[in-house]
Amino acid sequence: MTNDRICVGSIAGAFGVQGEVRLKSFCAEPEAIAAYGPLYTADGSRSFDVKLTRPVAGGLGARIAGVATKDQADALRGTDLYVDRARLPSLPDDEFYHSDLIGLEVYDTGGVLLGALRAVHNHGAGDLLEVYAPTRKQPLLIPFTKAAVPTVDLAARRIVADLPEGLE
Amino acid sequence: MSRSIWKGPFVDGYVLKKAEKSRESGKSEVIKIWSRRSTILPQFVGLTFGVYNGHKHIPVAITEEMIGQKFGEYSPTRTYYGHAADKKAKRK
Repeated sequence: MTNDRICVGSIAGAFGVQGEVRLKSFCAEPEAIAAYGPLYTADGSRSFDVKLTRPVAGGLGARIAGVATKDQADALRGTDLYVDRARLPSLPDDEFYHSDLIGLEVYDTGGVLLGALRAVHNHGAGDLLEVYAPTRKQPLLIPFTKAAVPTVDLAARRIVADLPEGLE
Repeated sequence: MSRSIWKGPFVDGYVLKKAEKSRESGKSEVIKIWSRRSTILPQFVGLTFGVYNGHKHIPVAITEEMIGQKFGEYSPTRTYYGHAADKKAKRK
């Protein structure tokens, strides 16, 4: 498990003239962005206490402690907001955060490196791991099932995949 | 306008043949198909199809809830990479 910060949203600019900001949330449940406590900039130099006010066009309205005017809110436009990985709730077995999986190395059952996990997709038929290998023309898509992915070792940062026949 | 019931669901013939062959062999394999228009039938449950999206075959593991939908619905033709943030994946 990594101790990195995770990007959970960004400030899109001011909302109104009374110091509110328009927040873009990247969370699965957009309102959850305020539940993770103080949010930080990418380098951790500033922290923000965020209080959501209402849903607005293209995001969420929010008040940030210490931001009282439209000019102050406008100055924050484009700021990405991060949360400590440790603040995310722990998950049951066989459930993983995308941010923990992305970047792991994927090996086949023979120990041959297939590539690095670049993204996790879900098109409605279960989760798919997109594995990128520089030697392949197309990324490899592996169904995230116990049969196809018997081992996920976050501590060793590796995944073992048993590829079904015909997978490309 | 919906399809007449007397016609039954549409499925390309080769999809049925490939599915039957795979079921008989009992092997765990991805059945490559190009027919996005075919309806998912009850006999496909438990099989994994690789549904073509114009670039590659997207693996689609068929479950009971998918019966009656089209294969193409589970194989989008455009890819969007969002932020990972707090999104979760469950290994089934």
